[in-house]
Amino acid sequence: LRKPDPDIRIAVTGAGIICSIGHNKEEVWKAISESRAGIGKLTRFPGESFPTDLAAEVEGDLPVHGRDARRMSRSDKLAVVAAAEAIAQADGVKLDRAIVSTGTSTGGLVEGEDYYFSRLVRGRRRAPASMVLQQATSGPSDAVARAFNVGGGVVSNATACASAGAAIGIAADYLRAHHADAAIAGGTDALCRLTYSGFNVLQAVDGEPCAPFSSKRKGITLGEGAAYLVLERWDDAVARGARIIAELCGYGATCDAHHPTAPHEEGRGAEAAMRGALCDARSSAEAIDYVNAHGTGTLLNDSAETKAIIAALGTGVPVSSSKSYFGHTLGASGAVEAVITVLALANQIAPPTLRLETAAADCPLDYIPHTPRPMRMQNALSNTFGFGGSNVSLLFRRA
Amino acid sequence: MTRIAITGIGVIAPGAVGVDAFSALLDRGNTAATPIDRFDTRGLSAHTAALVRDFVPRDFIAPMKLRRMNTLSRFGVAAARLAISDRGSELSTAAGVAIGTAFGPVQTSVDYMQEYVEKGAALAPPQLFAESVANAPGSHVGIEFGLRGFNITVTQRESSALAALMYASSQIAKGVSPAAVVGGVDEVSEIAFGVLDRVGTLAHSNGAVDECARPFDRRRNGMVVGEGGAVVIAEAATRKEPYAFVSGFGIARDTTASISDWGESAEAVVSAMRAAIEDAELSVHNIDAIYASANSTKRADRLESAAIQSLFRDRPPVVATKGYFGEYAAGGALQLSAAILAIRDQKLHASTGFGEPDEALISPTRRQEDRDLRHILVNSISAGGGIVCAVLSREAA
Repeated sequence: LRKPDPDIRIAVTGAGIICSIGHNKEEVWKAISESRAGIGKLTRFPGESFPTDLAAEVEGDLPVHGRDARRMSRSDKLAVVAAAEAIAQADGVKLDRAIVSTGTSTGGLVEGEDYYFSRLVRGRRRAPASMVLQQATSGPSDAVARAFNVGGGVVSNATACASAGAAIGIAADYLRAHHADAAIAGGTDALCRLTYSGFNVLQAVDGEPCAPFSSKRKGITLGEGAAYLVLERWDDAVARGARIIAELCGYGATCDAHHPTAPHEEGRGAEAAMRGALCDARSSAEAIDYVNAHGTGTLLNDSAETKAIIAALGTGVPVSSSKSYFGHTLGASGAVEAVITVLALANQIAPPTLRLETAAADCPLDYIPHTPRPMRMQNALSNTFGFGGSNVSLLFRRA
Repeated sequence: MTRIAITGIGVIAPGAVGVDAFSALLDRGNTAATPIDRFDTRGLSAHTAALVRDFVPRDFIAPMKLRRMNTLSRFGVAAARLAISDRGSELSTAAGVAIGTAFGPVQTSVDYMQEYVEKGAALAPPQLFAESVANAPGSHVGIEFGLRGFNITVTQRESSALAALMYASSQIAKGVSPAAVVGGVDEVSEIAFGVLDRVGTLAHSNGAVDECARPFDRRRNGMVVGEGGAVVIAEAATRKEPYAFVSGFGIARDTTASISDWGESAEAVVSAMRAAIEDAELSVHNIDAIYASANSTKRADRLESAAIQSLFRDRPPVVATKGYFGEYAAGGALQLSAAILAIRDQKLHASTGFGEPDEALISPTRRQEDRDLRHILVNSISAGGGIVCAVLSREAA
């Protein structure tokens, strides 16, 4: 079987994003530039009583129409919106031998919950099953592939909050191994009751908007969203005259093998993932100019990730958490934050960590507080970690 | 040429725990499907499934850990323990994990929602939430056996386990991990069973025809669902004689498929089969047998049959295994395990459930047969259009 060829460079030729601070790259970057977060009261589940009441919801209608739209979950629709923007930017990319690689943690679970409640009320035989015909976590890949007539294959993964990072890594290696000619790779997750309740039960949710790396941090703010990148082999992209917006130089994927929900205290697996990305990209720690952190705002993550960054890259590299803008978009976060990283490289502006009044004692790095920072950046890492100790780190280079 | 060795198999199957028992199940040629007693099927059309009944989790997992694991995690950890033991020695800590699951933790989500309704959103048990993520089984395998390489959970419906093997093989070939625990887990849940029944996907009795998976048979009217866990050890270098080698993969998507059903384009299936054969640096005539996706639905079997007829002029024997253990069984990893055993034993299995040919369709093997098997093609065709094919080979090169 063909190996992923390390000499093949991967071009990013399109990016699409939807989250609480915007429905596309332009809106999202404007909010980033203005240090304007998208965190407010939870409105998606009226009537439910949760211990906390904040969320980073995607507001407004999702412009997905047609016959298929009736069968799509909210996660599917978020995915289709983001993929549409990415594919439009990659103007002219051929999709007949493209793959869709999507990461999602819960996918269409919110529709599964609706079905569950409907069964309780109306009984098994009368509850409408049309919304749960897709498997929840393969639905987004299937919906995106269907919407854009993608013929090369679908690969869905549900690796908790590391899912979308994994999806982008998988796609890169399948292009390097010539299993496909292009990839629409990203992730999606809509807010659902189970996740909102579950993180509250774990007491991992901050009652105030999340404050990553802060001395006052108490946990995450739950968000939702989707993002996709269009990836092509560099030479193919150049040959067809595509505008390359960044290079995906490599990725690392590891497991803490430590605990089902908590990260390893010293960030062992996170460090190995960053080292893996450097190795895959044949790059070095000194070359990294910026880290877009996983930075969830939980006590454990921010401390462990900081230790991992120091171990892998040293203490000099600026780090920030974009989750301070749009919360934790769960399975989508790896892709949402990959797009932020790509935009940061393109604009040569590092997004800040909002609400970072005082950094915690266990967080001694430069976290770019409050306002965006213009700076020269050639290489940037985007970290994404999940339940089960799964870690993915993506290395992007300015085009 | 790169081929990845399969050096261990662990199986928790309907009617069989362990690879020897699984092999014996295939030798007997009988289905492991039985009437469902786990939940009430009154009012439904279908009443049978291939359920795991003889599995005693505490034989494989310490009691303190068992309490933290849902059924899927138990399947995954037990199958991994069997596979590692079958391999004969522990794996390197750099080994990866790739687990496929077609449905994932549907039952755990239902259990959580029941507590949510009864106790309130703030008081549901955290343990159930931790197990409600699809990658819980893979993560437990990583923790239990100290595996710190990649840890990915693939959820591509019927193709999940083959897609997991494809990713793991790419990572081993790339050199990031020396080995991987690869496989699948799935569980038959009342809620998913009910939905599949509602939309007419399941085999059901129909006058003279009893409820049974009948791949490629003219009487087929739907699938029987199965469950279980199956894990193989895939690795670059081997010390012992491996079961088989993984030599190629192909993927494609049928653009005529809706987001929840099979399509009608044999071309896409042909393209995936051809890609897998090319990736293995082989020609179509090198394929000695096909372990088909064939799940006994009208549509998917017709599609696969047309594709096989189109690609193979001299058609090799086709084996349909879903009659034994159902569709979705171990996320597709039981079908894969059967094909690996065929290479090791140089023996094709009988296609249980098949009796009366459909004139338009190919006919699968009727009985077990010793045969020279150098290369076997394994197909998986998913609703929604995803297709993954793999080639297994007897020799390292």
